[in-house]
Amino acid sequence: MSKRKARDAHLPIGECITQVQQILRERFCERLLPDRPEGVEAQYKHLLELLRRTAIHGESNSVLIVGPRGAGKTMLLQCVLRDLQKEEKVQKNLLQVHLSGLLQTDDRTALKEITRQLHLENVVGDKVFGSFAENLAFLLEALKKGNRSSSCPVLFVLDEFDLFAHHKNQTLLYNLFDVSQSAQAPIAVVGVTCRLDVLELLEKRVKSRFSHRQIHLLSSLNFTQYLERVWTQLSLPDSFPDKKFAQEWNAGVKTLCEDKSVEEVLQRHFNSSKDFRSLHMLLMLCLSRVSVAKPTIKPADLLEASRMCFADATANMLHGLSILELCLVIAIKHLNDVYEGEPFNLQMVHNEFKKFLHRKSNSMYNFEQPVVMKAFEHLQQLELIRPVDGSSAKVQREYQLMRLTLDHSQIMDALQKYPQCPTDVKQWAMSAFG
Amino acid sequence: GLAILRTNLKWPNLIFTLFHFETLTFFVLCLSLPENGQQMKAVVQWFMRVSELPVNKLKLLGREPHPQEIFYYECRNCDNEVNVESILRPVKVKHLDSNDPFPDSSDKDTLYVKLSWDSKVFGVVNSTVMESPAEGPSRRVLPTPDHAIMQKASLGEVGCSSVGTPANVEAESLHSATKLSASKCLSAKRRNATARTPGVRKRLELSSECSHKDFKMQPLCRTREQQGFLYISNTKNHHFLTVSLLFLQISPGTPKTPRHATPSIPIRSLQTQQPANILEEARARLHVSSVPESLPCREQEFQDIYSFVESKIIDNTGGCMYISGVPGTGKTATVHEVIRCLQHAADMDEIPSFHFIEINGMKMTDPHQAYVQILQKLTGQKATPDHAAVLLEKRFSNLAPRKETIVMLVDELDLLWTRKQNVMYNLFDWPTRRHARLVVLTIANTMDLPERIMINRVASRLGLTRMSFQPYSFKQLQEIIMSRLNKLKAFEEDALQLVSRKVAALSGDARRCLDICRRATEICEHSAADPSSTGLVGMSHVMEALNEMFSSAYITAIRCASTQEQLFLRAAIAEFRRLGLEEATFQQVFVQHQALCRIEGLRPIGVSEGLAVCQRLGACRLLLLEPSHLGVLQHIRLNVSQDDIFYALKAD
Repeated sequence: MSKRKARDAHLPIGECITQVQQILRERFCERLLPDRPEGVEAQYKHLLELLRRTAIHGESNSVLIVGPRGAGKTMLLQCVLRDLQKEEKVQKNLLQVHLSGLLQTDDRTALKEITRQLHLENVVGDKVFGSFAENLAFLLEALKKGNRSSSCPVLFVLDEFDLFAHHKNQTLLYNLFDVSQSAQAPIAVVGVTCRLDVLELLEKRVKSRFSHRQIHLLSSLNFTQYLERVWTQLSLPDSFPDKKFAQEWNAGVKTLCEDKSVEEVLQRHFNSSKDFRSLHMLLMLCLSRVSVAKPTIKPADLLEASRMCFADATANMLHGLSILELCLVIAIKHLNDVYEGEPFNLQMVHNEFKKFLHRKSNSMYNFEQPVVMKAFEHLQQLELIRPVDGSSAKVQREYQLMRLTLDHSQIMDALQKYPQCPTDVKQWAMSAFG
Repeated sequence: GLAILRTNLKWPNLIFTLFHFETLTFFVLCLSLPENGQQMKAVVQWFMRVSELPVNKLKLLGREPHPQEIFYYECRNCDNEVNVESILRPVKVKHLDSNDPFPDSSDKDTLYVKLSWDSKVFGVVNSTVMESPAEGPSRRVLPTPDHAIMQKASLGEVGCSSVGTPANVEAESLHSATKLSASKCLSAKRRNATARTPGVRKRLELSSECSHKDFKMQPLCRTREQQGFLYISNTKNHHFLTVSLLFLQISPGTPKTPRHATPSIPIRSLQTQQPANILEEARARLHVSSVPESLPCREQEFQDIYSFVESKIIDNTGGCMYISGVPGTGKTATVHEVIRCLQHAADMDEIPSFHFIEINGMKMTDPHQAYVQILQKLTGQKATPDHAAVLLEKRFSNLAPRKETIVMLVDELDLLWTRKQNVMYNLFDWPTRRHARLVVLTIANTMDLPERIMINRVASRLGLTRMSFQPYSFKQLQEIIMSRLNKLKAFEEDALQLVSRKVAALSGDARRCLDICRRATEICEHSAADPSSTGLVGMSHVMEALNEMFSSAYITAIRCASTQEQLFLRAAIAEFRRLGLEEATFQQVFVQHQALCRIEGLRPIGVSEGLAVCQRLGACRLLLLEPSHLGVLQHIRLNVSQDDIFYALKAD
């Protein structure tokens, strides 16, 4: 109740914060398309022209949009489609079919989906009738009957294009590209993929029918542009209802971006990855710390968010291990040092552990074999160690060969942070010889 | 389904007509206005019978349904406008409150409505809805697919209609009604075991002022399965009749497979724009799809295929030919050209007429579908693959001489390979039959396909008539473009030569050549603002197009990668050198990576961040990775040459 009152008392600012959260979240979740795609104007123009020619002139085309994940391939395509739909000549002259390699895992489902989205006559309600062979024949017949001047152009968008290349015989791709190269209904095939070697996946006949147009989205942006992007992403638009608040917020963002520590953090992110999706993740974490009590983003928020982004989940898992399990991990580390990463088994690890106990028996209790085995199995369940491929299940569990899936630096980091770690164990871990 | 019927029609005259509707015969009362004779539509309301409800939904009712109970159908997606021609007969429909008991009536022509059904749940029907036709559900003229199909079907078969006098019709119908009522019961039972309705006689009373005796009952309709009556109620106004009709049709709730669906793409709403300038015109002509007036550079092959097929047609024999060549060398185009010319000759009566069919191994889902497609193209029949094979076998081994030679083009032959090779065997065996008169032209990419994949008996039947299409030379490519452009001055001479030389050196694929030229015209168009441009496609434009299409993006991708990604690639190379292998685990590379970070003065990254960097490189295939669940143990290989990486990283 008191909280509610406090909110009511600050209603204007509470309202402002809600608005800020809403506007920025929409941006960071990539729900809103930007007015113009930044940094990819040439590609935007190329794609727009291409699709416009399909819609207006009925010219069949095929094109691939290639770029690393998070580079804005889908965003580019969506922007182009949105702007195309605004044109009167295009509006009712373009049918769209959207497929994704992750959803349409074989040609059978892909064909059903195409037929459904085109509302061909063998569709009733949401159901597509006929077998796979009939569907294919039907669709091809439909496209074949069309011609350049009278049929409505169809745009096929194939998301995760590389996955379509794994379909049997590449039937769908062959047929789409074949239609795009023959005097049938005009179609445009747009493939979206992150694989640079996608053309090598295509069979030679399919490849020959593809127009070899590729639009590459490779951002050559530098750090200054990156910083600018952070700034524009965080600042509020002029249309924000409360002008005074918007001014203060934007000023706050400006000082934030000029902060040295912030710049350092962003530089680190920029060095790691240039894509905007990871940046949006970072900014989203900052934004979620903004509240009525703290209506600006402070450098500390960004540092904290960055720490969360870079946190190593596997190393964190080590903090939850028991002392015995930790000791086993250390024993494995020593074994790895001695045998240069050769696989090990429980017996070897136990022996190593026993050697340690002999030397420093005062602080540790000598565990029974079954207890050690239990701990070892727990490590396996956590996937901190994994059985060597090909080691058969016939081998007794104690002798099954294993490998450690941790890096030594992760073990040492975890030991430093482990609560109340016995000094003996720490020393053992750090000593060069087991 | 059961559609009922409410309409006010002007009613000056009645004509009885017999219509054949698809496979069912209806006696239908055709209400027409002699003044203008136009077709009439009746606005109907659909009702569901108990037997038409999904069985598993019946329990929602919470009680036993009455045999004569029907449900007001509230689905919005069905057409409520029907041709009056499809009207069957009248019934009486009574609306009951949901709590009222069903009256104990023996009248089987009375139906009761208590509830509505919207394809998911039952609802209560308002009595006003039932009684006032004007306030019925809003009219929607959106045709459902099944209705459209039925109409289409009826158009084709309305042909045999006869006009009888009312008396005749009445007599005949009455006679048939008695005869058919028994079979009707049986068929209803057969159709749905759960159906509790003994018959399908239903009646709807629409206007409350219509009393029963006003009706003149007219048994009207007969079908194999259905029968019905038309009810005409005579209201006070003699010119307006409220007509109650019963309309039996495919149930709107359970649509049937559309058997007569026509494959078609919607028509565009705006006209296509014609090419406005020389470059657009050139682009249209250079599109692979535009059919050239003649096929240059394949004269010899054309002549060979032409004389082969022609001789077979003239001699009334059969034969096989195998055509091979890399993609884009004009194999299919040449065969089509040959067929076009032969067809022309046949039209001129120079050679006997023939029938051409075409199948493509890539355009079917399974090799055995070839039989289905051949049969369908020959006879229009539909059959399963096995049945089609039997029918074709019969057809080709038939001893009676056929009147026409069949020329069959089998494209992408290698896709018809099966383990037993029976599809290929049959394709090549049929032409050898005595009276088959079948010429088979097969096309595939590889020259040695018969030797490589065919077993002896198949290869032997294919015979030795082979032809191989060589990749185009640069002169030929140039000629192809010139002939397509047809004296249109859009390209500089040098530019054309560059394209054709480049393509000839790489693949000799004519499609590639045309695509590059098309792209070059676009680039030229964009740079038209440049004052130095001549409006023609020049060397620079072609160079740019070639670069776009042939240069690999790896080097640009490496240059555009983030600092850590570049470092990781360097670390991988360093580790490979150290190991003397082309493969290393992530863990090994990561050690190198951290060392490199220190050298470069960057803060070393953690393992999970390192893995993320590695995954990103793997996603765009600069690296080849093992499945990611292996974590630090996964093996890493490069997908680019080390030299490329050094070149890319050195440049900046």
